Amino acid sequence: MSGEEYQKSVLDRVSDLFIELLAKLIDRVRPGWYERNRSKVSEWKLMAYALNRSPPGVIGLILVLAFIFVGIFGPIIAPFSYRYFAIYDAPGSDLAQPGTVVVTKDNRTLYFPLGTDHFGRDLLSLLLQGARTSLVISIITIALGVPFGIILGLVAGYYGGKVDELIMRITDIFLAFPALILAIAFAAVLPERIHEVLQSNAWLRDFFLWLFALDQKDAGILSRPLAVILALIIVWWPGYARIVRGSTLSARENLYVEAARAVGLSNRTIMFKHILPNIIGPVLVYITLDFGGIVLMEAGLSFLGLGAVPPIADWGRIVYDGSQYFPRAWWLIFIPGLVVILSALGWNLLGDALRDILDPKTRRSIEFKLKKRRREE
Amino acid sequence: MKPILEIKDLHVHFYTYAGVVKAIAGVSFTVYEGETFALVGETGCGKSVTSRAITRLIESPGRIVKGSVIYHTKDGRKIDLLKLPEAELRAIRGKEIAYIFQDPTAALDPLYTSGYQVAEAMVVHRTVRSWKDGIKRAIEILRSVLIPDPEKRVKAYPHELSGGMKQRVVIGTSLSNRPRVLIADEPTTALDVTIQAQILKLIESLKRRHNATVMLITHNMGVVAEIADRVAVMYAGKIVEIGNVFQIFKNPQHPYTKGLLKAVPNPLIKVEKLESIPGTVPNLINPPPGCRFHPRCPFVMDVCRVEEPPMVEVEPGHQVACWLYTKR
Repeated sequence: MSGEEYQKSVLDRVSDLFIELLAKLIDRVRPGWYERNRSKVSEWKLMAYALNRSPPGVIGLILVLAFIFVGIFGPIIAPFSYRYFAIYDAPGSDLAQPGTVVVTKDNRTLYFPLGTDHFGRDLLSLLLQGARTSLVISIITIALGVPFGIILGLVAGYYGGKVDELIMRITDIFLAFPALILAIAFAAVLPERIHEVLQSNAWLRDFFLWLFALDQKDAGILSRPLAVILALIIVWWPGYARIVRGSTLSARENLYVEAARAVGLSNRTIMFKHILPNIIGPVLVYITLDFGGIVLMEAGLSFLGLGAVPPIADWGRIVYDGSQYFPRAWWLIFIPGLVVILSALGWNLLGDALRDILDPKTRRSIEFKLKKRRREE
Repeated sequence: MKPILEIKDLHVHFYTYAGVVKAIAGVSFTVYEGETFALVGETGCGKSVTSRAITRLIESPGRIVKGSVIYHTKDGRKIDLLKLPEAELRAIRGKEIAYIFQDPTAALDPLYTSGYQVAEAMVVHRTVRSWKDGIKRAIEILRSVLIPDPEKRVKAYPHELSGGMKQRVVIGTSLSNRPRVLIADEPTTALDVTIQAQILKLIESLKRRHNATVMLITHNMGVVAEIADRVAVMYAGKIVEIGNVFQIFKNPQHPYTKGLLKAVPNPLIKVEKLESIPGTVPNLINPPPGCRFHPRCPFVMDVCRVEEPPMVEVEPGHQVACWLYTKR
C-alpha cells in the first residue's frame, strides 16, 4: 500500500533491504511475526524514507553507526594494544609525526598512521580503544539515568499534589547547580568509594574490565571512569524527570486514562502502559541528543583530569596529555578533538532528524513532499 | 424492587484557585436492580461528577467531602464504596460497575488495538485465563456489540475505526466483564443521530440480555423518554425532581423540569423562536442562597430566596424539591 507510491532512491532501497532483513530475523525468532506485523514493517520503511530525505539526518546516522561500530570493534581492530609503549622497543618513537615508520631494536617496523603520544603509543589505537570507553560510559549513563528520571517524572506527574512537590523540589535542587560543576564535584569524590566496592566484588571488576576492554593490570584505576558514569547519571536524570512530568501532566488528562481507571487498572499499569508509551516519542529524541552531550561532557571531565587516567585510553584525556606538547605534537589535540566533535555532531544531527520524523505533524509534511515529487516526475 | 446503589447526601467540592466549587451539594437517590435510571440536566449541573463519584473517580482538585454510596453486592452484602480501600474498589470498577464515556474517540488509547483494550479489561479482573483467551473473547464481544467482521476489527487501531464503531468497542470493553451496573455518561452525544439510535438500542438489548442495571447520564430528553424507567433531574449540583419517566414527562412539577421539557423543540411545529430558560447556570463557587433555581424561576417567592426547599412526595415515587408544593 505504501511502498509503491514513492520514487525510491538508492538509499531507500538500502533501508528497505535492511528493514526486510530485520523483519525476517524477528520472524525467525518468533514465527508468524512478519505476517501479523506487515503494517508495522511498512511503517518502519516509511520512517526510513523520511529520514533518507534529510541529508543531515543521514550524515548523523552514518556518524552514529560509525561511532557504535568503532566502540564495539575498535579494541579488536586496533593495530596496537593501548598498553603497547613503543618507546621501550624503539627509542625516539615518542611524539612521532602522523605517518611515521619506526624500526625497533629487534628490527620490526612499526607504522603509526596518526602518530604517537609521549609514551610512544599509537594514536589510532588509542582513539579506537577510547571509542569503547566513550560508548560504554554514554550507554550506561543513559540506561540508568534515563529510566530513573522517567519513573520519577511519571510518578510526580501522575499523582500530583504533595508527591509532585517533593519530587520536583528535589529535582530543582539538582538542577540548581550547573551540570558540569556538579559532575566535577561527584567525579572528584566518588573514585575512592567505588574502588572499595570493586576490591570486594571481583566479578563486578571483571565485568567492567571486559566492558571497557581493559587489561587486568588496569583494575586499580577502573574506579575512575566508573566515577564519571555515576557523576553523569547524577546530573542527567533531573532533565528527564522534568520532561516526563510535563508530558505526563497533559497525557493524564486524556479520557482514555480515566477510562483505564474506570476499568479497574492499577495506577502502575496506567502509568507504564497507557501514559508512558504515549509520551515516549519526545523522550527518545532527547535520548539521542543527549548521547552527544554525554560524549562531550565525558571528554570534558577527562580533560579536566577527573575521568580515566593513563594508560586507559580516553579521548578527553589524550587531549589533556597532548596539550603539554602543543603545538609541536598538534596531532594529539586536533585528531582526538575532531573525533569527539564528530561523534557528538552525529548524535545531534540524528536527533534533529528523528524529532521531525517522530512528530506526526512534520512527518506528514515530509511524506506529502515525497508524494508531490513523485507526481511531478 | 431491590435497590442496588444508594447514594446518600453526596457532596463533592472542587478546590480551584478561584475558590471552592460546590459541584455536588447533597445529592441522594436510589437506583434499583434491573432498571434504567436517567440523570438529566444542563451542562455543568454535576451529572458526570455524580456518576464518577460513585466509584471515587474524582481526581484532584476535586474531593468527595461527605456522603455515602451503598452498593448491594450479589450475595446481599452492603458496602460503602466511598470508604472502601483502593485495591478493593479497583476490583469493583470495571467488573461490577462499568462506565461508558461520552467521547469514544478519546476513551480508547490510540496506541493499542481495539481487541487489546477489550481484552485488557478482562485480564485485569482475571475473567479470562490468558491474553490469548482474552483476545478470543474480545472477538465474541465485538460481535455481540454488532461490529461487522470482528476477527479483523480486533486488530484495528482506534484511528482505523469510525466514531460509531469506536463507541461499540467502548461499550464492548465495559460489558466484557458482565457488570451489574453500567454507568453510561452521555454515550451518544458525540455521535450523529442515526448512530445514536443504534447505540441506544444496543445498550438496551445488552442490558436485557445480561440483566444489568443502567444508569444513563444525558441532557437529551428524547433519549430519556426512549429508554429510561426512572428519571432524576439535576440542577446546579442538586436533584430537583425525581420520578418515573411518565410522571416526569406527563406531569412535571418543578419549574425547571417544565422549562427543560418546553425547550425540546417539536419537529412538527414551526416556531419563531426556540424556547429557553432565561438566565444561566449559577456560579457554584457562590451558589444563590435558598433554592438554587430561584434567580431563573418564573414562580419565585420570598421563601425561595432564603431557605432551601425540602424534597416532598407529590405522588407515589414522584418527589420534587420546590416550595410550590410544600405546605407551610
